[in-house]
Amino acid sequence: MFNFPDIGIYTEPVMSASTPESYLAEWNQRLLDFEESQHVSVFRRGIHNLVRNRLLLAGVILGVLVVGSGLVGPIIIGGDYELINFSNIHAKPFWDPPFEVFREAVVTRGISKLGETGEAFSKMVDHLRSGEAVLGTDHLGRDTATRLFVAIRVSLAVAVGVTALALVVGLALGTLAGFRGGWTDRSLGGVMDFIWGFPLILVAVLFAGGLGEGLPSVILAVGLVNMAAIARVVRGEVLALSEREFVEAARAGGLSNWRIIRKHLLPNILAPALVLASYYVAVAIIAEAALSFIGLGAQPPLPSLGQMVAEGRNFLQLNHWETTVPGLTLVVMVLSVSLIGDGLRDVFDPRLRHEAKGIDS
Amino acid sequence: MTESSPEIQSILDDYQQKKLNRRQFLKKVGAAGIGATAAAAILASCGGDEEPAATTAAPATTAAAAETTAAPETTAAPETTAAPEPMGPTKGGTLREGYNRDVSKHDPITTNWYDPAFFAIYEAIVTVSPDGDFVPQFCTEFSVSDDGLEYRFTVEDRQSHSGGTITAADVAEFYRIQKFSFIASLASPISHYEVDGNQVVAKMNNAWVGTLGPLATGYWRIANINTWKDVGGYDDETGLAGESVVASVYGTEVVDATGPFKHTEWVPGSHSYVERWDEYPGSNVPYFENKGTAHLDAIRWTVITEAGQRATQLENGDIDTLLNPAHQDLARLQGNPDLTVYQHAEWSGYFMFMNRENFPEIFGDVETRRGLSHAVDREGMVQALLFGNGAATYGPFPTTDRFYDPAVEQYNNYDVAEANRLLDAAGWSMGSDGVRERDGVPLQFEFMVENESLQTAIGTAAAAQFAQVGAQADVNVVDRAVWFERAGGPEVAAGLFMWLWPIPIDVLTLFCASYTIPVPNWSHANEPRIDQAISDWQNAGTVEAAAKAQSDFQIAWAETLPNMSFINQNSTFVKNNRVHGWSPFVWLLYPYYNDTWIEA
Repeated sequence: MFNFPDIGIYTEPVMSASTPESYLAEWNQRLLDFEESQHVSVFRRGIHNLVRNRLLLAGVILGVLVVGSGLVGPIIIGGDYELINFSNIHAKPFWDPPFEVFREAVVTRGISKLGETGEAFSKMVDHLRSGEAVLGTDHLGRDTATRLFVAIRVSLAVAVGVTALALVVGLALGTLAGFRGGWTDRSLGGVMDFIWGFPLILVAVLFAGGLGEGLPSVILAVGLVNMAAIARVVRGEVLALSEREFVEAARAGGLSNWRIIRKHLLPNILAPALVLASYYVAVAIIAEAALSFIGLGAQPPLPSLGQMVAEGRNFLQLNHWETTVPGLTLVVMVLSVSLIGDGLRDVFDPRLRHEAKGIDS
Repeated sequence: MTESSPEIQSILDDYQQKKLNRRQFLKKVGAAGIGATAAAAILASCGGDEEPAATTAAPATTAAAAETTAAPETTAAPETTAAPEPMGPTKGGTLREGYNRDVSKHDPITTNWYDPAFFAIYEAIVTVSPDGDFVPQFCTEFSVSDDGLEYRFTVEDRQSHSGGTITAADVAEFYRIQKFSFIASLASPISHYEVDGNQVVAKMNNAWVGTLGPLATGYWRIANINTWKDVGGYDDETGLAGESVVASVYGTEVVDATGPFKHTEWVPGSHSYVERWDEYPGSNVPYFENKGTAHLDAIRWTVITEAGQRATQLENGDIDTLLNPAHQDLARLQGNPDLTVYQHAEWSGYFMFMNRENFPEIFGDVETRRGLSHAVDREGMVQALLFGNGAATYGPFPTTDRFYDPAVEQYNNYDVAEANRLLDAAGWSMGSDGVRERDGVPLQFEFMVENESLQTAIGTAAAAQFAQVGAQADVNVVDRAVWFERAGGPEVAAGLFMWLWPIPIDVLTLFCASYTIPVPNWSHANEPRIDQAISDWQNAGTVEAAAKAQSDFQIAWAETLPNMSFINQNSTFVKNNRVHGWSPFVWLLYPYYNDTWIEA
């Protein structure tokens, strides 16, 4: 019986071969069969790692909830996010009656208040049954749930747009700079440092000035800054990889630059780049919300989380849920993306994986 | 009052014996485990002596209002809470005032807006009393000739902040140069100014009942024109367009006038600051109790453009007085016994301009404009956005104006069926995407809105209502500077604007007269009826003629819709009760500070 650290325990089978040559051949074949049987698909390995990594699992669950609500929510509850209703402004969400009873009981230390809990829950159930404005309404009487789901879509669309732009352009420019070196590296590096040095808000204002306020400006501004960040990291990775033996060997073997990049460099930098990109998804979501908060992002009536927070902040004392609900949604979205990013890093970074297992690398 | 614990009873006794004020009472009962609601119920049941006085509408009719002033039916300045009587004015202290806009350049000639600071730094030749009468301020007396063609203002030489002297000739020269400013057309019936001894004589093109109105506003407040010219390097050849005037630091770093406070600091986006002028020669205004130097050491206006922040800063004690809290915070402020709230009609309004020259396919015909206008629920907007603190406007004037013509209310009512009928009649057919089309052109346009919470809400609400009748208004929220840069240009179809001016007819003419195309007649409206009404107003020698001209103007506006009026908000001022002698009233946009003092 042999213990192969990477493939499991191999128990020597009863061999049928009679000659040493046939014995060796049969042994080799059985070993190959065993390895084949032990092969785990990428998907299965991913599921395995996902289940083992609790933070990653939590991130995925939160992400599925948020993304799912954004994608499916509008279909389920329908409604028009633009529709105003002056007769029902600042309505509170369904959970507010019991929440308010609990809050008042805590604030006033009036435990007797808790006696009103039953009535409050009854109100909550009635509200839920009515199905109307379950998350409340805003200052124009617009349904918060409808707007929230659309806002999640907007955030996701911006995040995907920004990340795609940043990843594709950042990978290309970073690889080019790292691989070519010389003046290409210096000039591209200078440009990237220049962009990276600019505050995001300033870049967004410049784009808004040129293109007008709105989501295209946000995507370009945030994408540009994120691209510079990704390009800088990719350049560093490519510079390190270019010194490695397999790249030297490929060069010595006469492979073209394009082939070296495609076959040897990109596969090696893709994983860290993807992990980095997952981090910048969170950055993109926050940046979009921040820019919408100050009026440079999504334009009314199209909702976005930042804009909903901004609109609600003037009514905090009247109905804080108008700000709290989109604010919490934003927190959950960013948290889920961050957890997924951290989890992916754990999965892809062997050093961290070993550390997590307690193996000193 | 029902049974209560000895502890609560003791607190209540203290309260009833005035050993505790209302706030202290609420704190103590809170600490004793009684909820705020229950405490309020206890107070209500025992009838606290410090309960705020009931809100009074105080609709004093102002028949005595000056003939030229557009008097409202009510000069209501209802104090919702009664301030305790002070012992007497004390000198010193800095008044910290919250201001709902950014601070403007302190130069009456070149500014595009005038702020409360103008009422501390400058004096106008005349001003308005709480009764609505014109009274002397810079001048000592004034008169008008029988034919109405000559206004005489007697002026005594007055020292200015710099130590210079302003004579009648200087005042006339100031007015001569002021006539080059963008706002001067509001007083276009005044031909020119002459000097006769110690009198400034305004020579009229025609008799006009509106003459004194503009002269009492911020733009006509008198600066030391010699300093103004020196700092700005003014010469008659280039006028106000001269490079040195455009780049002048007058109004930002240097100000020279005759008000009781001296300009000290001006920081856009943050604050402006003035200090008492100890050489102030005294005021001619008859209703000021304090004729001498100001009680306050200084005044600081803090810019609070965040609507929700204004009330909070006042409640937290960061500021002492406040101009225009957010409407949603008003009820809370009114319930605060430490504060006094003043509310009255505001000479302002929100309207949408519709660029019909560059977008004739959309706004060129009146049926389309009317159709859109009928889609707007103005009453709903007042209730939802202003919390009832305002009024719907179907024509250009605020409803409380003395010359308001209720006949405008037959136009532009909220009627979706009528809106659809008019749009159908105008040839707009509903597209499959819910947006109407006519001759292949969708009923879709950019709607530019200033980046301010209430304006954004009004713009969004209007756009949502247009959408219900098949018109897509793409709201574009932009900064104030961008708004003014783009408005009236060929790229912007529509925009929301808020005007503020103590005499509505004067300023409203600017937005629809054919001679002000494209700025500020951003609609490029050219309506002969409106031009005629404006001309009639500027030639009105009697109140009756003025009333007719203003009525014609309102009806023509409501019918032809050069701009689409939405709503008019009330003006709200709030002060901490430690502040005294700060009494805003309906006739002036801002209060004076001569009598203001703060309890130590």
